Amino acid sequence: MTDSLLLSLALLLPIAGMISIPLLPHPFRAKANFVFVLLIAAATSIPAVKALTGNAVDIVISKTLVFGNISLHIDSLSSWFILIINLTCINGAFYGIGYMKKYDQQRANLSMHWILFLLFQSSMLWVCIIQNGLFFLIAWEIMSISSLLLVIFEHHRHEILKAGMNYMVQMHIGVAFLSVAFIWVYSSEGSFDFSAIGNFFSHNQNVWLFLLFFAGFGIKAGFIPLHSWLPHAHPAAPSHISGVMSGVIVKMGIYGIIRIALMLKSDLILIGESLLILSILTGIYGILNAAVHRDFKKMLAYCTIENIGIIGAGIGLAIIGMGMNNSFLLVIGLSGALLHTLNHSLFKSLLFFSSGSVYQQTHTRDMEKLGGLVHKMPQTAALFLIGSLAIGGLPPFNGFVSEFILYTGFLHGIKIPMLSGLHSTLMILSFAGLAIIGGLSLLTFTKSFGTIFLGSPRRQLHHNPSEVSLVMRLPQFFIVAVMLSIGIFPQLYFSAVLHLITSVVPSVQLPDVSIFQTTITLMAEIGIYSFMFLCLLILVFLIRNILVRNRTVIINTTWGCGYIAPHSKMQYTGKSFSKTLGKLLGFIVTEKKKYTELKAEEIFPQARKHSTHYTDFFEDNIFNKVINRLIHGMGYFRFIQNGRIQMYVLYGVFFIMLIFLGTLFGFI
Amino acid sequence: MISFILIILASIFFTGIIIRTKSIVTGRKGPGIFQPVKDVIRLWKKGAVYSKTTSFIFQIAPSIYFASVLMAIMVVPFGQYKGIISFEGDFVFFAYVLALGKFFSIISALDTGSSFEGMGASREALYSMFAEPAFFILMGSFALLTGKTSFQEIFASLHFGSSISYILGVLATFVLAMITMVENSRMPIDDPKTHLELTMVHEVMILDNSGFDLGMILYATNLKFAMYGALIANLFMGSFPLYLTIPIFFGIQILFAIAVGLLESFTARFRMNHNAQYIFVLSSVSLLIFFGVLLMLGRFN
Repeated sequence: MTDSLLLSLALLLPIAGMISIPLLPHPFRAKANFVFVLLIAAATSIPAVKALTGNAVDIVISKTLVFGNISLHIDSLSSWFILIINLTCINGAFYGIGYMKKYDQQRANLSMHWILFLLFQSSMLWVCIIQNGLFFLIAWEIMSISSLLLVIFEHHRHEILKAGMNYMVQMHIGVAFLSVAFIWVYSSEGSFDFSAIGNFFSHNQNVWLFLLFFAGFGIKAGFIPLHSWLPHAHPAAPSHISGVMSGVIVKMGIYGIIRIALMLKSDLILIGESLLILSILTGIYGILNAAVHRDFKKMLAYCTIENIGIIGAGIGLAIIGMGMNNSFLLVIGLSGALLHTLNHSLFKSLLFFSSGSVYQQTHTRDMEKLGGLVHKMPQTAALFLIGSLAIGGLPPFNGFVSEFILYTGFLHGIKIPMLSGLHSTLMILSFAGLAIIGGLSLLTFTKSFGTIFLGSPRRQLHHNPSEVSLVMRLPQFFIVAVMLSIGIFPQLYFSAVLHLITSVVPSVQLPDVSIFQTTITLMAEIGIYSFMFLCLLILVFLIRNILVRNRTVIINTTWGCGYIAPHSKMQYTGKSFSKTLGKLLGFIVTEKKKYTELKAEEIFPQARKHSTHYTDFFEDNIFNKVINRLIHGMGYFRFIQNGRIQMYVLYGVFFIMLIFLGTLFGFI
Repeated sequence: MISFILIILASIFFTGIIIRTKSIVTGRKGPGIFQPVKDVIRLWKKGAVYSKTTSFIFQIAPSIYFASVLMAIMVVPFGQYKGIISFEGDFVFFAYVLALGKFFSIISALDTGSSFEGMGASREALYSMFAEPAFFILMGSFALLTGKTSFQEIFASLHFGSSISYILGVLATFVLAMITMVENSRMPIDDPKTHLELTMVHEVMILDNSGFDLGMILYATNLKFAMYGALIANLFMGSFPLYLTIPIFFGIQILFAIAVGLLESFTARFRMNHNAQYIFVLSSVSLLIFFGVLLMLGRFN
């Protein structure tokens, strides 16, 4: 009973918040929002923790007018995502208090923003709780709309509105796929309940329905070629919103895919292998684009696509495991995916927050205009650095844990004796693909960190940047602490995930859980070794400091190879850092240049501009071409929309006549 | 533990042998084989010059680089004897620990704000990225061949029996040796003796390092050489007793060093813009090893 009480509280709290925030005096609104976020988080986390420890919450609101029976169900899978949402939203709301300070003049806009934030958080939570297709779609839609309105906070700027439109259209294409999928299940099983999907799978072909669901959820998650909203929406949104969006809203797509994947009954190997291939390609494509872009929030958005690829690879591995009745592969794949979901939500929000701090102080997202910020904002630099290390999967941080689990999964996949050569080859290529992704993310983040924070400033900024307020730094330190705890005590998190998996996966596929005891000890060992590594790093540095403390130290300029008038513009730029890579793989990341050629008759050339930018392969070569054709084709019908009211009245009369005559002669 | 000590020992003379080989081939007498270590010790006693552009990154990076190499050495086994650290999938840990060191050495080069050092950093990042899959495919093939996933178990149960396995052994040695050259920025990927900053990779990254830090970076290179040499030696040690494996270990380290010296004497560095493709070829060779393993296990059907 207490659960239903808490859930109704979770429904009432955002409403109370939405009413009370605009009524409060202006300076308290952001803080009130944080309090409400905290309260909603508490109300939903209590049943979630309960479900994670074994008692699933199951509430059925029976016989509603439109939806039939609505079942609310918090099992351990939902609760994992609920906890991630709450953690990220709390951090985001806290960071937002400081980040939105500079927009203090836009009072109405700002209070709308905080209202929407509450709506956004609770709609995501309900997406995880509701198990009724139709009702789920409503929550899903509220989530999309509220996040859209959050993204276009600076709606007076043209490019931000455009990014918002793009986001809205793509989200609705996703909803269309999902609606079709749910209606298909309804027409076949007569129910919108999620359990009907499982029934559908048991006596129909699985591939097509899964494909529909995958298209719908995949747009949200950002698998290629459905990713193109991400690089537009993330840079447009305020940083705490991008952090939360990248941290959790794309994970709702992952949630949906896992939810559906666990119900699959046949065609498992085909689905699993296709998903695995697509995911690895997504990962490589995402990080490759991230490596070449100079807008650092766009870079982070592409990097989100990369991480979705890594998570997807885990899910693919799990589905293959289900198909081969190999419980080890299933558990390793799924636990890698779930842990990486948590990890990514942590380090990606950390990176978005710290880059938001940079944006707030410098008012530019172009890393080529920055440089040397480490002297002005040392703490932000350190936080960004930690985020970069973690996202590259480097020990002793949390990214290593989930990537290690996936590597273990692939290694196991290579060795499965019943697999034919082709499957083993797929496994080893994915294994190497993950290594390439790791290498590329090292390149991407050394470039980004180096260009933004190191060296000397490349441009004179309008005002002198300084370290951001404590309100903005505090949630980031908190995230770092959580990340370190995962890196050093992975066994705790792994056993939680293991428990989760045993409770949601049908027991037929998990004959014996005790074999994973060795994996838990392995995780514990990794934690110890990561900690040992951390200690060794500190130890070496301390010994070095003790040994050099009495040595003479001279401070001088950087060695310029004999050149005595160096200039900050001579520094290596981010663009040139990744230029060789971009050139080598120019068939994927195409570079567009804009310049006017020097003509022969121009003896005294005027000042001219040269600009280059990288385009998205799918957006540029596929979508834009199709859309341009469509627009061209639609142009022939433009005479209908001619702006004359008389004509529009005539259309109305025409159709009324048509219907009248149709009924008269019995056509309709 | 035994591998850790032996690798440290081998690192003392490894680069010395390379230099000695090169000088003998070019008809010079050359320095003694302990000269590189003496240079490092001299550097360890010196003060330092720091650029005023640099930040704390520049201070901590050499130590982290050095520590990461030390940590990676702890993972390397010695025949049937485990390294200090050994667990299933430890070679992933090995690669990622080294990657952390590389991360810091790259950003410390960027920290100086020099155009040359940025260029070296960019090249280093690119090359190591391309070398990564080769190592992983190689280890994955061994895992498939032996059914084991840790360094020590893989090397202990690696048997050369059929004719294919000898070919695989040769190819694996080649791939490991080439990865060593890439990771240590030696010929034919990078020329450590070049006099022009524009054509350097690793050397240009450490232009601004001096004193103790430079000593650590240089010694880390020696350690890395000996570490990869140990990996190659492990391919051949099998489960022989210790009185055989220790001579095998040193024999292979010395042979490897001489081979590196000869290679550096008789080849020129590849064209910079073809390096990436060349390194990527290593991945193809690794894939060849993988298919060879599949062939051995009769999994092609």
